Amino acid sequence: MTDMPLRALLGSSDRDPGCDAGLDVIDVYCDAVDRGEPLSDRFREFLSHLANCEACREDTEALLAAIRDQKKDESAG
Amino acid sequence: MVARWHTRLAGVILRRMHSLDLDRESAEWVRSLTAGGEAHRSAVARLHALLLRVARGEAARRRATLPSRGMEEVDDLCVQSANDALVAVLAKLDTFRGTARFTTWACKFVILDVSSALRRHAWRHRKVELDDAVWDRLPDTAPPALQDLQNAELLDILRRAVREQLTEHQRLVFQSVTMEGVPIDVLAERLGSTRGAIYKALHDARGKLRQVLADAGYEEIVA
Repeated sequence: MTDMPLRALLGSSDRDPGCDAGLDVIDVYCDAVDRGEPLSDRFREFLSHLANCEACREDTEALLAAIRDQKKDESAG
Repeated sequence: MVARWHTRLAGVILRRMHSLDLDRESAEWVRSLTAGGEAHRSAVARLHALLLRVARGEAARRRATLPSRGMEEVDDLCVQSANDALVAVLAKLDTFRGTARFTTWACKFVILDVSSALRRHAWRHRKVELDDAVWDRLPDTAPPALQDLQNAELLDILRRAVREQLTEHQRLVFQSVTMEGVPIDVLAERLGSTRGAIYKALHDARGKLRQVLADAGYEEIVA
């Protein structure tokens, strides 16, 4: 047995601010990802929440996809 | 009366905007959305078009997770989400701090709305209930997270802890979300709660279970 399945079930013990606090910074985080900025220190708690919360992970991926699509539209148009 | 209120609000937003360090494009969005007349109407129309495009893009990305029946309703959900997000963005314009680009900040509203609507749509014909039989279906039909739990002793401790240490609400949330894959916003809707409150219940349940496993000698793997 590895700890990966347990991590998915039980989450991590790192500080996790929850969905509401996470959604406050999701746009700032996605812009930082888009600009290729370092993330680990600035978004430590948000990253820990993303590891624990599938819905917030999906929403973050969705916002990143929207940013990528806008860039494609801008370069095409 | 409305025009006077709009002018006053626009003045407040513009004064705030000057004190913020906005990128050129974000500043232009805020300026045109707080302007009057045709400039305002044009900016609102462009913003709505952007939000609708983003909502439809997200629906296309999630197509595989949506049931094939009811696809005609999906576009209605996208339009509704774009409309609601537009209202929210305009109402909260004075809270835009410029920590993200304006378009990213605005798209957040439509993404959160449409993602949640699509998850609820995907689950609309599925029951959400406390089903302890999920433990008996191991390992064949369990979600991947549980299929790999090969340690029978650990599994037994975990199952007993779920039954004995969690409240009924925590047990429903924990089993539904982690073992049956119910999205937390679907669970929130069914229970008349909020995403934040459901996540808090999940977080507290996980904390209790990690403590039980740590006390049983598994502290290294739950650290």
